[in-house]
Amino acid sequence: MRMDTVIMGGGLSGLTCGIALAKRGKRVAIVASGQSTMLFNGGSMELLGNIDGKTVTAPLEAIATLPKDHPYSKIGADRIAGLAARAKLMLSDSGINMEGDVAANHWRITPMGVAKPAWLTLNDHLRINDLNQLPAKRVALMCIRGFFDQPNSMLAQGLRDLGFEVNAIEFTTDDITALRRSPSEMRATSLAKRLVSHNALQRLADQVNSLAGDADMVLLPSVFGQNNADDFQTLQSMVNKPLRLVATLPPSVAGMRMMTQLRHYFRMLGGNYLMGDSAVSGTFEGDRLTAVTTAKLGDMPLRADHFVLATGSFISRGLVADYERVYEPVLGVDVNADSDPNRWTQFGVLQPQAYSRFGVATDERLRCLKQGKPIVNLHAVGSILSGHDAVKMGDGTGVSLLTALAAIDDIIKSE
Amino acid sequence: MSDRMQISNLSENNFEQCTKCSICTTVCPVAAVTTDYPGPKQAGPDGERYRLKDPAYYDKALKLCLNCKRCEVACPSGVHIADIIQKARMDAGEGKRASLRDTMLANTDLLGTVANIVAPVANVTLGLKPTKWAMHNMMAIDKRRTFPAYSRTKFETWFKRHAADQQNAYPNHVSYFHGCYVNYNFPKLGQDLVKLMNAAGYGVHLLNKERCCGVALIANGLYKQAKRQARVNATNIRQAVNGKHYTVLTTSSSCTFNLRDEYPAILDEDTSDVRDSIMLATRFIYKLVDEEKIKLIFKQDYKRRIAYHTACHMQRMGWQLYSIELLRMIPGLDLVELEQNCCGISGTYGFKKENYERSQAIGATLFKDIEDARVEAVSTDCETCKWQIEMSTGLPVENPVSILADALDVEATRKANGV
Repeated sequence: MRMDTVIMGGGLSGLTCGIALAKRGKRVAIVASGQSTMLFNGGSMELLGNIDGKTVTAPLEAIATLPKDHPYSKIGADRIAGLAARAKLMLSDSGINMEGDVAANHWRITPMGVAKPAWLTLNDHLRINDLNQLPAKRVALMCIRGFFDQPNSMLAQGLRDLGFEVNAIEFTTDDITALRRSPSEMRATSLAKRLVSHNALQRLADQVNSLAGDADMVLLPSVFGQNNADDFQTLQSMVNKPLRLVATLPPSVAGMRMMTQLRHYFRMLGGNYLMGDSAVSGTFEGDRLTAVTTAKLGDMPLRADHFVLATGSFISRGLVADYERVYEPVLGVDVNADSDPNRWTQFGVLQPQAYSRFGVATDERLRCLKQGKPIVNLHAVGSILSGHDAVKMGDGTGVSLLTALAAIDDIIKSE
Repeated sequence: MSDRMQISNLSENNFEQCTKCSICTTVCPVAAVTTDYPGPKQAGPDGERYRLKDPAYYDKALKLCLNCKRCEVACPSGVHIADIIQKARMDAGEGKRASLRDTMLANTDLLGTVANIVAPVANVTLGLKPTKWAMHNMMAIDKRRTFPAYSRTKFETWFKRHAADQQNAYPNHVSYFHGCYVNYNFPKLGQDLVKLMNAAGYGVHLLNKERCCGVALIANGLYKQAKRQARVNATNIRQAVNGKHYTVLTTSSSCTFNLRDEYPAILDEDTSDVRDSIMLATRFIYKLVDEEKIKLIFKQDYKRRIAYHTACHMQRMGWQLYSIELLRMIPGLDLVELEQNCCGISGTYGFKKENYERSQAIGATLFKDIEDARVEAVSTDCETCKWQIEMSTGLPVENPVSILADALDVEATRKANGV
């Protein structure tokens, strides 16, 4: 089967590549093995949040100081602002409306109530531009009775530490109570499926209106709008105070919705999304990759002019570690990783971990290397790239979006 | 070093690989509409830990699983969640409790044989209010359900009378596992396949003997009978594949998935030696076109707007691409690919009174998408999706093979392939 480009990996970076190419009328196939780590996303994109433990307020300036093995440095610091603007446009074309400024980070609130620097946050989620000027003084933190995915007291304490006056209010509705029959599944994504109908939202809004008291703003867990943002708009029209959502523990409704919207947009553009299939090996001819074999398509490999490796990091099995080495399991391309397993980790799960910077080796154009030589039609994008640290640097989603667009530019230029 | 590694030390159905991420539950169509079902994570790997300790932990709610496999498709860790659930149902002896209703629904070939004989009567009778009332109340088959019509002549009979003799004249040959639906309900699909393959220079042959693939037997817990039928099919498929070197084509995604993957996974019938030679006709045809071994030439005046629905088992096999790409080759066909949502019927599940409302609730998202797509017909590779979508949207539903056959310029195609 012949495509113009085959993308291995169906998460944020793979879909960004796919959309950009399909928009140019290219024949594209995305091979996606299961759902992606976007289902752990709390509704924000980050460009760069920390360097050496210090919070970054102006990401563009900070990016210019990154070491040269960081993916942003390979793209070129001068291109970041332009690529970021295109990424934001691509998101809004897909129906994902986010706010944020590439020159100045704002703050997103984690499910634990911690403020972390972010570049873009969904319009309906709580966003703080300036910690000295909170968007509200008194907030009503609406806590759903029996809900698993929001540690209410930690969240309330976190918001108080930021300076909010927090009134944490437990509540429920008949629609929510019905879900408690299945106690193990009182989760964000299950709630989102129940809170869709006009009546269910009205019952919830009635509760909120009667309980919110003198709050300036109502905060609800992000359990609305499984497939689009309309449910939130409907709810806001029913609630008589400004309403904002707070991220929950994963799997997140916001992450699911964003993936659904990106996939839908990609399909609308004529792209092929092979859900539940996975690339298993590649055929090389000289310095080119000519075909990729997948688990499901079997003896009909996907042939293409260009390939993109977007299979993610360890959690998505884009990288694999055994007791001896770290490797890339599909194509066997070069990996930047410490050869001594004793140096991969250090004690303390919250400490910086060397392994989180491991990834595939690329040249300056993000083309994969194999035995030190570039594979000229194979780009790597997103979490599988080495030299960045989504956890400690807060650069995961930004690297996914921006390297994807940069790789596509390189592919288009090479034609 | 390798002796220290546990990478190959995997449990059955990969169940130890579950990281409890809950992603499977987010895509479960049943858990989305009812709290009676605990969701695939709980019903599958979580519950399995308890069941391994004591089978008494088996939860009857597992019967609500559609076996749609969407949990397996979504799983980032490769856990065979639905297989774990199916095995648990089997181990709990669900089949021994099968009611007359379930046995009847599951025996699609037996039901078909009887219905064929009395087709004109059966079709009218099954649509009559008193019959529906009786089935609803005495057999718990929902009266709101439209029963698929039965054909007067079996496909096998038609084939023997009108097609079999000419097949040897073609230069290439394939075998065809037609399945119950083509044989008893809708021989036209089989005829369309013969028309298409013949035009491409391929003679079509039936297996020496074919039994119902057993997908409905598995769903209704009749594992013993399913195993017997699987053995017959495996033997006859082997004769075609190993003896005659034929590829065995199918036109139903669920039969295909069952023959290839459920036989070894659920019924302990190892078909691995012939698995690669059992495939949907669309995959086989796409491959021939892709490798430029055949040419398909379509009518110039064919103009239709059609939505393609990926059936659950089709998604599990990952083969929708072939059907979609073939349909896209028809110049006048405006194809809309629908979001991959379950239609809710899941074989015999939606026919049962206790499941009817749940079945329609599951399908609601898909029906809305179809309505929004403003198409004149829907295409899918699954016959039970067809019944459900036709009943719920009023639009005709056609197998891609039928659409290809209708759009085909037969004379030009025969000429192009040297027939």
